[in-house]
This record gives sequence, structure tokens and C-alpha cells, in this order.
Amino acid sequence: MAQHTLDQAPVPASPGAGALSPGTSSHRPPGRLRRALRSVVPGPTADAGGAALYRRWWLPWLWMAPAIVGTTVFGVFPFLNTLLVSFTDAKPLGGTYNLVGLDNYTRMFGDSDFWLATRNSVLYAVIVVPLMILLPLLLAILVEKNLPGIGFFRSAFYTPVLASSVVVGLSWQWLLSDQGLANTWLEKAHIIREAIPFLSDSWLILLSAMGLTIWKGLGWYMIFYLAALGNVPKELHEAAAVDGAGSIRRFWHITVPGVRQSMMLVGTLTGIGSLRVFTEIYMLGGSTGGPGGADRTLPFYIRDVGLDPLTGNAGYGAAVSVALFALTLGLTLLAQRLTKEDES
Amino acid sequence: MRARRLTRTLTCIAALSLAAAGCGLSGGSDSGDATAGGCKVDKGNVGSGKLTGDVKGDITFQTTNLKKDFGGYFNGVIAAFEKAHPGTKVKWIDDPGDATFTQRLVADAQGCTLPDVVNINVNTAIALTKNGYLLDLDKKAPDAGKPFVPALWKSSMYADASGTKVHSVLPWYSGGIVQTFNTDLMKEAGLDPAKPPTTVLGLFADAQKVAEASDGKYYAFLANPQLRIPADWQQMGIKIFSADGKKFTFADDPKTTQWVEAMTKLYKAGGMPRDSLSSTQDPANVFGQGKLVYGPTNPNFLRFIQQNNPSVYKKTGVARFMLDDLGHTVGAPQYIGTAATSKNAPTALAFAQFLTNAPNQLEWAKDPNVVIFPSTTASLDDPFFQSVKGTDPFAEARKIVASDRKTATADEIALTPGELNAFSAQIQLAMQGKKSAEDALKEAQSKGNELIEQGS
Repeated sequence: MAQHTLDQAPVPASPGAGALSPGTSSHRPPGRLRRALRSVVPGPTADAGGAALYRRWWLPWLWMAPAIVGTTVFGVFPFLNTLLVSFTDAKPLGGTYNLVGLDNYTRMFGDSDFWLATRNSVLYAVIVVPLMILLPLLLAILVEKNLPGIGFFRSAFYTPVLASSVVVGLSWQWLLSDQGLANTWLEKAHIIREAIPFLSDSWLILLSAMGLTIWKGLGWYMIFYLAALGNVPKELHEAAAVDGAGSIRRFWHITVPGVRQSMMLVGTLTGIGSLRVFTEIYMLGGSTGGPGGADRTLPFYIRDVGLDPLTGNAGYGAAVSVALFALTLGLTLLAQRLTKEDES
Repeated sequence: MRARRLTRTLTCIAALSLAAAGCGLSGGSDSGDATAGGCKVDKGNVGSGKLTGDVKGDITFQTTNLKKDFGGYFNGVIAAFEKAHPGTKVKWIDDPGDATFTQRLVADAQGCTLPDVVNINVNTAIALTKNGYLLDLDKKAPDAGKPFVPALWKSSMYADASGTKVHSVLPWYSGGIVQTFNTDLMKEAGLDPAKPPTTVLGLFADAQKVAEASDGKYYAFLANPQLRIPADWQQMGIKIFSADGKKFTFADDPKTTQWVEAMTKLYKAGGMPRDSLSSTQDPANVFGQGKLVYGPTNPNFLRFIQQNNPSVYKKTGVARFMLDDLGHTVGAPQYIGTAATSKNAPTALAFAQFLTNAPNQLEWAKDPNVVIFPSTTASLDDPFFQSVKGTDPFAEARKIVASDRKTATADEIALTPGELNAFSAQIQLAMQGKKSAEDALKEAQSKGNELIEQGS
């Protein structure tokens, strides 16, 4: 045990005598923490002057503490608990439980409903993510210029983000029903003779739900891109224009590379978001998740198998949750790798 | 050092939370002399022998979504009880009663904090009785059933932990069940509002005429099978469960197949809105828009129509529900349970009996803002129910239900949300023509059996 503690250490009189000064190795965090901290707190050897030198090594930890505690209590612990529960036959309401080994996972892999839900979730991500990366960017370019009254359009595009999912769902029900706005217009325009079954055909319900997700998210990601577009140097556009580059060419060669980081962020966020879809399916497909349950996504399926207070199986629900986590992680890593390869 | 201490603290926190998880999972391992559902309780609350003890002390009383409209009535009942039993205090709480009600209440019970006197529905009564959280009235208060209508009392029994059916709840009010219909649309479809159907399949035969006459301008009723099961099956006399309640048997009854075929035929003929097959549309709204011939069956919905669509209300006809093979209706009863975990069980039981006694039930039923029906014989005999005045839909409904209350039972089949979804999903496939009625029912039954097994 080193007897020195920071409280007893002399008040640093000069730069270099700070808490992270060399020679007081017993005050240092162990290796991994130190490496992590090094990127956060420049040590005295780094060429960072001023206030940084007076900072205690534990200060960053103190600032991070609320987040660490929050993440531990609401993220890490529930995750570990879910992992644990997935090997049991626990009930949603507690009570006694047994360890059942890999039974839940075996059941899951042999369950056609699970695979259907997985297919729907993956399809959701595959279709929604690219559109979600591109469309808000186009929208942002549209409202980027400071024209008179543009504020109105920016707010209008942002409104769906603020509306409650339930209200949005009801409006979409009204829009897509057999006698709804969409069908009435199409019929009046003589494009269709019979109403399109948006809300009773399982494929159309899934596609409509995707439309709802995209429509509701457009404004939110538009804000991301508006911020990013502000950082794309105007000079580049001007220079390219002088060289004779058209607007499409400038979009692909200046705008897109300029907002690339934001695109990756939007891709990751919407990827995770689209694997978590529940409300859209519920609002358009009802509590069975479309006729015959054919539109159920993984979160929907988890609710069905795991959460019913009287007949649910929390263990099985947890196993499917772990699968959903693996899928999310896998797709995110895959996307990252693809982007990296693309870059190189 | 600090860092090491910090990591150690973090590890401890993690370990503690894991341990807490363990506790949460295991539960119910308590071993005391007297326990109810894993909670330590007074010896008098469980086992044989009548409940004895002084009526005094504090109790909590929980209602479901009643405080907003009926505060005056309940505060009056509570004050009268406290006056009759000096030294008692009733703390009234009101639960919003949403979709997670059962889950929350059972969680309360597991935490040994179930309110002493609690308003519950059939599903919750099943869950709480099965886990031993309610007083066994057969043992603790053998005379408790006397004031109640015999048919209702006899059928208000639920299985305890050992599978024996016991009385664990006192019947309270119920809403009743009637047929409602739009008389104008009925006439337009060539049906006589004075001769509403008397059987479920008779209703489907009439609905088929609606499909033929309406040309998509109006419909018989909504398509989602969730809105009709298990009530239709029960009225048809279909045996939904096996005698021991451990297996579903509805698929083995040819009548269920007939019902699914009737649903399919009607759906294909356009007697139901195509987009309502799996939707969350509320039939009360669609009926209020004048687009449905047959409306919801809860008389309270008439008030909704009266307030929101007076023109449709004027055209609304009311008739006795299709009694069919069952011969009577099943009212969805509201119950009052007394917690076996109560610290003042004699007081809790006394209050539960006071609340459900004939004068108190009658007083509430007379509130002009409700159409509810009491569970006690004496209150049903009151002139208020025996000679109803008026001919508007509201009065008609009151007359019809009141005349039916003495034979109605509480044998309501309460499917869990999971079972209801599983069955509906299969029937939806049949209605779309993707499966035969038999196949859909077989699949529904096997999914239902899986769920029962999973929950037991």
C-alpha cells in the first residue's frame, strides 16, 4: 500500500508537480485505465500547458461518474441480467425459475415465427437505412439556402418529429385505409379502380410502416445534415462551378464527401432504430402485428413471447432479445467495415 | 490507489446489482409459519378457520379508474364505514387501469404490498388467486356469498395454487351485455329491427344480407376477430377449455369451424371493412359515423354515442344479446378482492363487504352517469331496476340487462392477450383465404396450448 494519497500530496507549486507527475506511480490508475485516460487528460509530458496541468487525475472520472452510474444501472446491468435470464425459464412476473441451459436458444432457432420476425426486421433495416441516409440530405439541401420564408418549410419538415407516434399512426391509418385519402385520390385520378389494401395486405403493411418511419425521421436527420452542410466550404462549390461542374456532379464530389461523417452517424442511428421498430407495426397492423402476425418485427415478437403476464416466458423473450442485440451489433460492425473498405 | 479503489467500488456495485437480479428472479423462497405467495402474513389470514379480530386500524383501498367521476360516492362510502367502525381509516387510491394493470398489480403482490382491498377483473383475479394473494373466503368468511345473486356467486370461483376452485373475490358491479344496431341501416338492408338475431350464426346470416345490400357503403361489423372472441364462442356453447382448464379444446368443436367459415364468407362478401382485419379501429367510432349496422355490446357505449353522435343515437336500437346455446349472458364482472397479505385483514374484509352490500351498490347504480348493474339480489329487486321508465336506447338497455342479471353468470372466459393474439392471427389467415378454417383452428389451438404450458 502506498502511503501517499493525493490529499497528502503537496499542493503543486509549479507545472510538472501535478497529480500525474512521473514518479508517483502508485497514484496512477492501472494500465488499461491509464491508457484510456491518456487520451482524455494530457499528461505533463504532453505539450499541453495551462489548466490541464493542475487537473487531478480523478477529475475526469468525477465528471463521467453520472454517466457511468447511469450506463451501469440502466444499460450494463439490464444487459447482463437479460443474458442471465435467457438461460432460465423465468416468468415475466418473477417467482421461481430453473436454469434450462441452451433450451431457449434451441427453441428460437427452430421457431419459424422467430425467423419471420428476423426477416421483417432485417428487411426494415435494409430498406429504411439507405433511404434515411439520402432523403434527409436532399431535404437539407433544399432548405439550406436562406430564402425568405424558408423557416416555415424547415419547421414544417420538422413537425412529424414532434408529433406523438400514436397521433401519427392514427393519421396514417386515415391516410391509407380503403376509403382514405390515398385511395380516394388514386381512384379519382383513375389510376386505380379498386382500393389498394395498404392496411390488410401484409407486404403493404410492412412497406407502409417503413414509409411512416421514414416520414417521421426525415426532419430529425435533416437537422443533422443542415449542421454538417454548414461545414462544407462554399469556395469548393464555387471553384467547381467555375471549372464547369454541374449541380449533380458537385453533389457527389463535394457535398457527399463533406457530410460523410454525418452520413455514417445517420446510418448507424437509423440502423439501430429500424431494428427496434414496434409502434409503426402496431399502429398499422394492429395487436397481432398484421393479419396472421406476418408483419411482426423482433421487438414485437419479444413482446408476444416474453411479456404476457400470465402466459409469457421471460427466459425465451430474453433469448430473442440477445439475438436482436447480436443482430444489431453484427449489422453495425458490417456497415463500419463496408465504409472502411470503401474509404480505402 | 484511488483508481483501484474506484474500480473496486464499481465492481461492488455491479456485483450488488447482479445479486439484486438474483433476488428478483428467485423470490418466493421465504419460509415462515404463515405465508401467502411468499409473503409473511398473520397466521389468521391463511389456513382453515374463520377470520377473527377487531375491525380497526388503517387499510388501503384501490379502485380502477373511478376517482375522476365518482369521487363523491366513494368518499361517502368510506366516511360511512369509518363512522360505523371508530378507529379505522381507509386510504383510497385509484389506478388508471391500463394494459399493464394485471402485471403491475401482481408485481405489487409479489412485493407484499397488494392494497388491502382491491378492485380487479377476471384476469387479475385468476392471477392473484393462483398465487395465493387473496383471502380464501370459503374458509375465512363462509357466509360471504349470501347477499349475492346465486348464479353469479356460484360462478365466481378461481383456482388456487393447488388447482382447487375457491371463492377469493366478492362480485361487485358489471356493465351487462346487449345487442345494439342502427335501425335505419337495418331497414336499408332489408332486415327487421324488431326481429334481431337470437343466435350467433343467425347474426352472421343477417350480416350476409347487409353485405349484399350495402355495396360497400356500410358494413355489418368490423372484421378483426379479436372483437368477437371468445364472447361469440361462449354464447354458441363451444367448449373453449378442457374441464381441468389445462388444454384448449375449441378446435375440436365443429361449431367453431362453422363460425370461422361464417367470418370468412362475410369478409369476402364485403360485410366487414377489408382494412379492419387486424386494425386497432374502435367499433364505437365507426358505429358513431353511421357506417356499421351492429354496434358494441356494452350498454355504457350508448352514452358515448349519445354524447358524440346524437343523430346516430336516435336511430340506435337495443335488443337482448344472442343467448344462443348458452341460454344466458356472461357479464364481465368487476370484483373486490381482500389481500391475504393484509396487516388488518378483519378490517379489510369488513370494508370489502360494506362496499359491496346491497344499499351501497344500489346507491352507485342510481348515478345517472353510469349504466352498471349490482351483484346483490336485494339491489336488483329494487324498483329502480324492476320498473324502468322511458323508451330511449338507454332505458331499453337498462331494462334488458336488469332482467337478465339474475341468470347471468361470471363464467367469462378470459383469454390472456397472448392467447387472444395467437388465435386472432390464425383466424385472420383463414379469413384472407390463406388457410382453411380447420387448419387455422388447429394451429391456433396448438399455439394456445403452448402458451398455457409456458405459463403454468
